[in-house]
Amino acid sequence: MPRFTLPALLAAALIAAPLLSTHSFVHHLLIMVLFSTLLGLSWNLLGGFAGQVSFGHSAFLGLGAYSTLLLYLKLGLSPWFGLLAGGAVAMAVAVPIGLICFRLRGPYFSLATLAVAEIIRLVALNWDDLTAGPQGLIITHLPATSILGQTVNWESKLPFYYLIAVLALLGMGLTHLVARSRLGAYLLAVREDLESAEAVGIDTVRTRVLALALSALLVGLAGGFYGLYFRYIDPDAVFSVALSVEMVFIAVVGGIATTAGPIVGAIVLVGISETFRTQFQSGHLIFYGLFMMLVIRYLPDGIWGRVRLALKQARER
Amino acid sequence: MALLEVTDLGKNFGGLRAVSGLSFSLEADEILGLIGPNGAGKTTAFNLMAGFIPPSSGEVRLAGRNITGLKPHAIVKLGVARTFQVVKPFRKLSVLENVTLAAFLHCRRRDEAMAEARRILALLDLTDKAEGAASDLTLAQQKRLEIARCLATRPKILFLDEPMGGLNATEVEAACDLVLRLRRDGIAVILVEHHMQAIMRISDRVLVLHHGVPIADGRPEAVVRNPEVIRAYLGEGKT
Amino acid sequence: MQMFLQSLVSGVLTGTLYAMIAVGLTIVFGVMRIINMAHGEMVMLGMFGAYWSYSLLHLDPFLSLLLWMPAMFLFGMVVYRFLLRKIIPGGELNSLLYTAGLSLLIANLALFLWTGDYRNINLPYGMLPARPFGISVSIPLAIAFGLALAITSLLSLFLSRTDTGRAIRATAQNPEAAALMGIEVGRIDMITFGLGTALAGASGVLLAPSLYLYPTVGEILIVKCFVIVVLGGLGSIPGAIAGGVLLGIVESLGSVYVSVAYKDGIGFVLFLLVLLFRPKGLFGVGRA
Ligand SMILES: Nc1ncnc2c1ncn2[C@@H]1O[C@H](COP(=O)(O)OP(=O)(O)O)[C@@H](O)[C@H]1O
Ligand SMILES: [Mg+2]
Repeated sequence: MPRFTLPALLAAALIAAPLLSTHSFVHHLLIMVLFSTLLGLSWNLLGGFAGQVSFGHSAFLGLGAYSTLLLYLKLGLSPWFGLLAGGAVAMAVAVPIGLICFRLRGPYFSLATLAVAEIIRLVALNWDDLTAGPQGLIITHLPATSILGQTVNWESKLPFYYLIAVLALLGMGLTHLVARSRLGAYLLAVREDLESAEAVGIDTVRTRVLALALSALLVGLAGGFYGLYFRYIDPDAVFSVALSVEMVFIAVVGGIATTAGPIVGAIVLVGISETFRTQFQSGHLIFYGLFMMLVIRYLPDGIWGRVRLALKQARER
Repeated sequence: MALLEVTDLGKNFGGLRAVSGLSFSLEADEILGLIGPNGAGKTTAFNLMAGFIPPSSGEVRLAGRNITGLKPHAIVKLGVARTFQVVKPFRKLSVLENVTLAAFLHCRRRDEAMAEARRILALLDLTDKAEGAASDLTLAQQKRLEIARCLATRPKILFLDEPMGGLNATEVEAACDLVLRLRRDGIAVILVEHHMQAIMRISDRVLVLHHGVPIADGRPEAVVRNPEVIRAYLGEGKT
Repeated sequence: MQMFLQSLVSGVLTGTLYAMIAVGLTIVFGVMRIINMAHGEMVMLGMFGAYWSYSLLHLDPFLSLLLWMPAMFLFGMVVYRFLLRKIIPGGELNSLLYTAGLSLLIANLALFLWTGDYRNINLPYGMLPARPFGISVSIPLAIAFGLALAITSLLSLFLSRTDTGRAIRATAQNPEAAALMGIEVGRIDMITFGLGTALAGASGVLLAPSLYLYPTVGEILIVKCFVIVVLGGLGSIPGAIAGGVLLGIVESLGSVYVSVAYKDGIGFVLFLLVLLFRPKGLFGVGRA
């Protein structure tokens, strides 16, 4: 297969997908799948490739969401710049955390992520003047923008779909580049053995901080999108443990350290959550837990990792 | 000026003086055998010189430059590589990827790094294992893989920590030849080894550590006749 | 002054219970090198155990310890034997993620079975606090404190005086050497995991009369545990005890002198400061 076939097919599928149905609920589901894909991609860069498990990734998502909305509501900055700013803020907060935790060997980073997420949530909850505390932030009106000479107003779901599709593609492109580059190789080395990584000349602190920064950038962008799409955020929604857990789930179930895995993970996640959320409250979380355990036990490379292996074996035969 | 110059190096773990007063120098084309009973502080000395643990005292100079307290990766970049006594390959990665990773230090592009890695794997007789996972290698192969990884960083000095431990006679023989060849290629070697015949055969000089303190430093034949060295080894036998 | 003493005392009492939870987490880490993300859920199960045996069987919660502690010990061994044992050789990353999945599963099964309602146990002797020296002390909390001290002391006796205990400590220090000395590391892992779970469950039982209980309470408890083990040094039992008491005091003083809203945050900030300046824990005994 020529090099560009797969990405081209993917892009074509992404463009065509929402045109198959005019149902806005279908569009919503597609948006949620791509949004989840972006979350999974973000977590995967750090947790999958570099092996640094974050249990508090919603902290960076929330930072992105709050930055985007606050810049718009308080300073009138266009949300589309705000989105980028959200990614940048998330990254700026992530770097010092990485510098503190990654100097140490052992699971300190994982332990710290939960605490950091909790600190940030508490601040958002109590800093009324800036964040409006538990009330949260609401956008009542999104200004129309013009893209390629077309006026886009944000009343239908379609523009949001294409926005998140672009962001998800960006995330996949970034993951793909990282996976093939020196950085990607270094991330795997760091995951496998820190001492050996140092022994072959890898700056393991810088490498992990870089992974965290890229990961925070992606999830910060996702946060900005979240704020604009739902038009409402509050601390318990965006800094929630459940969101952090979903990110872990998507990456692990789809396939750790793969580029396409998060899409698969996202489809499974949205599937489970839509099936069970309506049946009983938070029942889907039972299945998240169960699924994660089963996948780690029986498919340690995740669903996509397993498929990829089967494809490879088939080709060799 | 010597390539590596160690002065009064020391390390205390709590009350235990694992290494103390270690001073020696290494020339650019030398093979130095570092021996001593178990727990003598050999591995600790490697950890100190390679930056894996900070020394309590003393100084390490590489070609005149003070490298004490640098991080391991920085020391590797300056040309000092080490293997681990208990092998630590990147287990889930392929043999080729293990070495490619290390070759990235000097080759930015993946294809260059891979070509370099293949060349080194051929040198170490690991070519037919290249695509398999590192965890599937035998112990002898894993030890060679660690050396391959070191070579990919283009070292001037190589610290080998018991590269022959657990190997059979033929494998030991091959390992000796390898070390001699590395020296011919211009790499200085410090060799920690319990296999005395190997040490006697290939070392230019032997340094003996006992309870963290250097007790002899000289030509192999002279060192093994040194009464203090004999006592150190016999003393160990009694306890 | 009165207020200071008051919050100091309640800080020490709560902190001792935190300490007991953290000791469970830290011995499992010490021996198996895994962070059990489901540890908070084990505490939650203990709390609900005490709640149900009190409301259905009218069993005094402190008495029910005799039932729930052995039960949780067995539960822990079963979890290890049938769930974790196959996962641990796959590496730290897998165990961390696996136990995170387990935590989700247990917490949300509990949510499904018992709903998210906040519950509490009202003991007849818990209505009015005791007032030694003018300081008000909740009686159930004081009893829990005493029992936590007793259980933790028994544990350290067990670790230092029995063969199994010594084998556990040897394995924690050096699993390879322990295996060479003929210690069955698999069995020791199982017992240790049982002990850790029993400690978590027992602290749940002890806390039940003093805290509101709800299925996701484990979330906040595990975070506190992390703070404690980092304060005290990961893998160290004395460190976990000191860290627990310290966190109890800091939280209690903090809610009086700083702000109630940021009460939990103070512990977390302390945690980051320790990581920054004293990564081996305040007492320098932890291992990375
Ligand atoms: N990280 C450490 N912490 C505490 N003691 C250590 C550490 N590393 C080594 N030691 C101790 O230092 C001494 C020297 O060990 P080592 O350098 O491994 O000896 P050798 O390699 O010569 O057998 C031993 O007594 C060992 O127990
Ligand atoms: Mg050694």
